[in-house]
Amino acid sequence: MVTISLVQAILIGLWTAFCYSGMLFGIFTNRAIVLSFGVGLVLNDIPTALKCGAIAELAFMGFGVGAGGTVPPNPIGPGIIGTLMAITVPGVTPESALSLSLPFAVAIQFLQTAIYTVRAGGPESAANALKKQNFGAFRWHANATIVLFAVVGFALGFSGAYAMEWLSSVVKLIPAQLLKGLSVAGGMLPAIGFAMIMTVMLKKELIPFAILGYILAAYLKMPVMGIALVGACFAIKYYNDSNKKTVVQTENGNGEEHNDWI
Amino acid sequence: MTGFNKLTKADYTKTTLRAYFLQNGFNYTNYQGLGYALVMYPAFKKMYGDDKAKLAKELESNSEFYNTNPNFLPFVTSIHLAMADNGYDYEEVRGIKMALMGPLAGIGDSLSQFCIAPLFSTIFASMAMQGFSLAPLLFLLAENVTLLAIKLIVGGYGRKLGTDMIDKLSSQMGTISEAASMIGVTVIAGLAATFVKMNVKVSLAAGQIQQGVKQSTVNIQAMLDKVAPALLPVLYTLLMYYLIKKKGMTTYTLVLITVVLGIALSFLGILG
Repeated sequence: MVTISLVQAILIGLWTAFCYSGMLFGIFTNRAIVLSFGVGLVLNDIPTALKCGAIAELAFMGFGVGAGGTVPPNPIGPGIIGTLMAITVPGVTPESALSLSLPFAVAIQFLQTAIYTVRAGGPESAANALKKQNFGAFRWHANATIVLFAVVGFALGFSGAYAMEWLSSVVKLIPAQLLKGLSVAGGMLPAIGFAMIMTVMLKKELIPFAILGYILAAYLKMPVMGIALVGACFAIKYYNDSNKKTVVQTENGNGEEHNDWI
Repeated sequence: MTGFNKLTKADYTKTTLRAYFLQNGFNYTNYQGLGYALVMYPAFKKMYGDDKAKLAKELESNSEFYNTNPNFLPFVTSIHLAMADNGYDYEEVRGIKMALMGPLAGIGDSLSQFCIAPLFSTIFASMAMQGFSLAPLLFLLAENVTLLAIKLIVGGYGRKLGTDMIDKLSSQMGTISEAASMIGVTVIAGLAATFVKMNVKVSLAAGQIQQGVKQSTVNIQAMLDKVAPALLPVLYTLLMYYLIKKKGMTTYTLVLITVVLGIALSFLGILG
């Protein structure tokens, strides 16, 4: 069994913090192939790390940066925890490390949901800071999620490296019911954001378009791109019609229809 | 219309590069909303520098819900900057900003996450499999050079388009932002119906519960879906709308209510 020194554990923690934050930056560091490379570098076993990273990368392919609303199992599971297991625990192959680390990948996904939920009050705090014209505080709130990511990333990498058993016991401590509740709440929270924009955008004459959007998404299950295109049809028609009207009005003198208004 | 015309090309590039910060404040209330304001911060500061109240107000209105692909964001921010720098109010910019959100997320996500990333990922993972140590680093390099190029190209294109649009179309700006608002509202309503997730887990047994006897059950979610799909999410969004608009409730209160409600309803086994 390979033992991990305190310094190595700290280095792995820092590496995880950097890679996990990189997910928000959109620089694709939170991929199994990158994560495991750092672990291999610190523990001086690059061949095993490369194997773990490559296998997990292919298994997790298609999971990108955290855009959209979906949170797939996190590559930190196989990338950090799995690689640690493969390098330190005798008998664990890169393949079995991938399956052994899947519970961690799922647990980290819940942890991430929890971070986003915890940060749901951020917009309000930022708005309060701006009311006091406290721009420093505004910037803090606008950056707080990534700071949390770095802290959580460090904790995961460090504890994973320093105390594998301890980490798995901590994961078991979080009540499943609470995780479930946080996911449910996380699903409901965007309603507030949408309601906020609607309070400024939804004028009376635009209500039909709100209904249209609902029908397209809920009944016709149209992807957002299609919804935008349908909206664009009405917008183009409206734009052309109102231009025509202006031209007709300005040329009103001779009362002729002008089709070549461009 | 009097503009500021304070921004140089360097300010556009700077804002383009700040697209990396778009998700720094990601949260479940307004997604990238805080990040959008953060990305615009230095440019806003330059435009409204002397007027702190205006700067605070602009940042606050720009913190509303936003969600798009970070690599295509510079297209939006460049158009936004061009318009703002020419003196257009946020009210006139908002429609275009919101209308572009959905399509750019669609194009951007499919390109960067489902095309570029899997492509590089397979190439470099197979190299790593064969023991080529530098494969992970080359993966990062290839991925990020490509994404940076996309950011710079769409940012530059947005700036050109934004400036042209203002020169040629300033008289029609009202119509354009009205038309853009139509797309924006359509998209946002559609997103609200798909992004907000509420699923009733309870099914009622028809009649008295009897042990060991197979009973017909009524699945409430299926029933609701028959009334109207995504009924609960839409009703909840409308409730939030009502509480903000008519009751003047702050988002902080609403977040608290929602989190407590979510945990409670999940605990009672009603939502799941």
